[in-house]
Amino acid sequence: MNAAVDATCFHCGEALPAQAPSVDIDGTPRAVCCQGCGAAAQWIRDAGLADYYRLRAADGARVDLDAGDFLTWDRADVQSGHVVATPQGSEITVVVEGMRCAACAWLIDRALVREPGVTEVGANAVTGRVRVAWDPARTPLSRVLVRLASLGYRPHLAQGEAAERERRRERNRLIARLGVAALGATQAMMFAEALYLDTAGEMSLPTRDFFRWITFLVSTPVVFFSGWPFIAGMASELRHRRPGMDTLVATSVLLAYVASLVETLRGGPHVWFDAAVMFVLFLLAARFLEQMARRQASARLDTLARAQPALAWRVGAGGREQVPVAALAVGDVVEAGAGDVVPADGELLDAPASFDESLLTGESEPVARQPGDALYAGSVCRESAARLRVQRIGSDTRLSQLTRAVEKAQAQRPRVARLADAVATRFVLALFVAAAVVFAVWWQVQPGRAFEVALAVLVVSCPCALSLAVPAALATAHGTLARMGVLALGADALESLARVDTVLLDKTGTLTLGRPQLVEAVSVDGGDVAPWLAVAAALEQGAGHPIAAAFAQRGVPAAERVRAHPGEGVAGEVDGRAWRLGRAGFAMRGDDDGALWLGDGTVGVARFTIADPVRPDAARAIAALRAMAIAPRILSGDGADAVASVAQAVGVAQFQARQSPEDKLAAVRALQANGHRVLMLGDGINDAPVLAGADVSMAMADGAPLAHRAADLVLTGSSLLRVPQAVALARRSQRIIRQNLAWALAYNLVALPFAAMGWVNPGLAALGMAASSLVVTANALRLGRIEGHAE
Amino acid sequence: MNILLALIPVSLALLVLAILAFLWAVRRGQFDDLDTPSLDILGDDERPAPPPEKRDAP
Repeated sequence: MNAAVDATCFHCGEALPAQAPSVDIDGTPRAVCCQGCGAAAQWIRDAGLADYYRLRAADGARVDLDAGDFLTWDRADVQSGHVVATPQGSEITVVVEGMRCAACAWLIDRALVREPGVTEVGANAVTGRVRVAWDPARTPLSRVLVRLASLGYRPHLAQGEAAERERRRERNRLIARLGVAALGATQAMMFAEALYLDTAGEMSLPTRDFFRWITFLVSTPVVFFSGWPFIAGMASELRHRRPGMDTLVATSVLLAYVASLVETLRGGPHVWFDAAVMFVLFLLAARFLEQMARRQASARLDTLARAQPALAWRVGAGGREQVPVAALAVGDVVEAGAGDVVPADGELLDAPASFDESLLTGESEPVARQPGDALYAGSVCRESAARLRVQRIGSDTRLSQLTRAVEKAQAQRPRVARLADAVATRFVLALFVAAAVVFAVWWQVQPGRAFEVALAVLVVSCPCALSLAVPAALATAHGTLARMGVLALGADALESLARVDTVLLDKTGTLTLGRPQLVEAVSVDGGDVAPWLAVAAALEQGAGHPIAAAFAQRGVPAAERVRAHPGEGVAGEVDGRAWRLGRAGFAMRGDDDGALWLGDGTVGVARFTIADPVRPDAARAIAALRAMAIAPRILSGDGADAVASVAQAVGVAQFQARQSPEDKLAAVRALQANGHRVLMLGDGINDAPVLAGADVSMAMADGAPLAHRAADLVLTGSSLLRVPQAVALARRSQRIIRQNLAWALAYNLVALPFAAMGWVNPGLAALGMAASSLVVTANALRLGRIEGHAE
Repeated sequence: MNILLALIPVSLALLVLAILAFLWAVRRGQFDDLDTPSLDILGDDERPAPPPEKRDAP
């Protein structure tokens, strides 16, 4: 156990190299993986913030010692539109990478405030944003950002700041409404209590009326300020002639409120102000919980989307300079370092280089590009830096085309007819018709009681339970989903998920882990492979190769003179011996067999198979889906062989390979045209249009930000078993919503005739209303259980 | 029962005060982040601990 802990970096949790530096924290020497992490850990210790290591729930991010000087951030053209002038100086909000838990926010707050000139810091772990207020006369922004980066939190320019501010304002408004509802409702209940306790009717009429007016006074802001979202929702639903849930809720609240006011004015026997306010409070709380769960999910995903590089290296006559991507023009020459994202579509210059275009195409292998070839924004430069001439920028890039395809597909998505809305519409109309008929009949028979009886009809059939039926179930189901590790982003996600009969799966990153792993290592002479593995690991680490992680292990010797040969492999010296690691032709002059060979250039000593393994639970998840009568199919951008072997491994008979995003979307459309309800499960940008076009879609948490934005649900864990579980929960929640609606309707239908005959006593009406709502809420709470369906 | 005439306005005044205080807190951003502050308490408890220099073993 101890060895396992020691094998990883104390700060970032990555694998340790051979001669790992160590730092004393709280009297214990801790090994760190690199100088960057060491410096960060040392600074944290010296600043007295070592508590961070106890508080954190996740490892820190690896610290890049050479994170840059951020001098460009001091430039006016970069700051314009991002920095706000305040009386104390300036303020900026940056999005940072690597903020993984609340302890990071804690650390950032304390670390930055110690910088001279920084006046205020607010780090939010939920949104990944850091607000920094500083005095430009005392410190440049770049110094603050260097401190941030030196702790492993790389800052990015935050985009869509206005939308974020709007979101925050919206959330605060909802909290304010909820607070007013809670304070007002409890007070209104207190006053109503006085009226209820007067069971013998001993209270004098002026006192009773005084209490009623006070209750009225306290409930009015609750109904009209806190209940405003419902009333505004009703107004918009009526304007579109589609009365739905909000109409139902607002009608119930306003009915109870207006009926009480009328009874207060005419000195009637009973008032229901307390029912109106409690109702607003409960519904608002249910709505708050549901929205917070969904917003928190989308805020976290939005942060990722905005963390795209907003700066690029432009190569001009005067050398390299960092400029905002927005300032790039067609014809500019830009440079992308190894591991950097290509900022714009363009043409490769100088030398061949390899690029990871998996986000755009779904192809897992990096592709080699020759000078003159087209490069796409969003692909990642591998192995060596590359220069390109910009040909298309901004909204013309392939990436933006895909983004637009997402928006278009989303707009054309088939809408699920909402069961609850349909029921609500008819019910509200029927209710008013019934009340009008009752009023008319009583007017003929006994005009003196007509108003009173019509009011009783409206109150007793006040659709409280009906309007609670759906929100209560949705709030519980969303909470349960989140605990399961499935974030629901779209409001309709659950309803659509319940009706799915076909599931389309992407291969790379969805059915497979999406990162290469060493699956087989054989030495040529049949001896121990461990020493060769160590040499290979040393070469890979020295080269900073993306598949280095597959070799990561302890006690690796240091490699010298490491040089990457793009598209072929790595050469270098380990313990004074020259080695080559790469394709067979490069490492030992053999024929390429798809495996990775270690050799000295002529003779091979070991053969490694690197593959992207299938997720361990993929086969079980697919079996579970099939048991639920959901047919699985694989759609992948990868080659036929790779797709076929994965399809066989997970037990799927139907698969299509070499699918472009447009092909995938067409496949979905064809299925939908045949009446199928399609669930799409994917992770890459290439899946995004399909995710948006399917009836309902799920994205993997470690997938592309654009895929998240296009998806209805995001799987936060890595287990695919969550998929059948989520479908089961969705089906269960639909069943419970139906039960709730049936119960509420039945109650109202039974109570209505009694009220219409004039037999209902107001106290009984209030009791029935409460009991019916309780039954519905209790039924909805059954969704809180996670059923171990697929475990 | 005349005491009610005094007590109820007092309770209403308190209610108004509570609502104003709550709205002020919301507007000041007190509810922007509901996760990090829980750690602040833990952190501040550790303040009186010996300064970092003394913690280093020679």
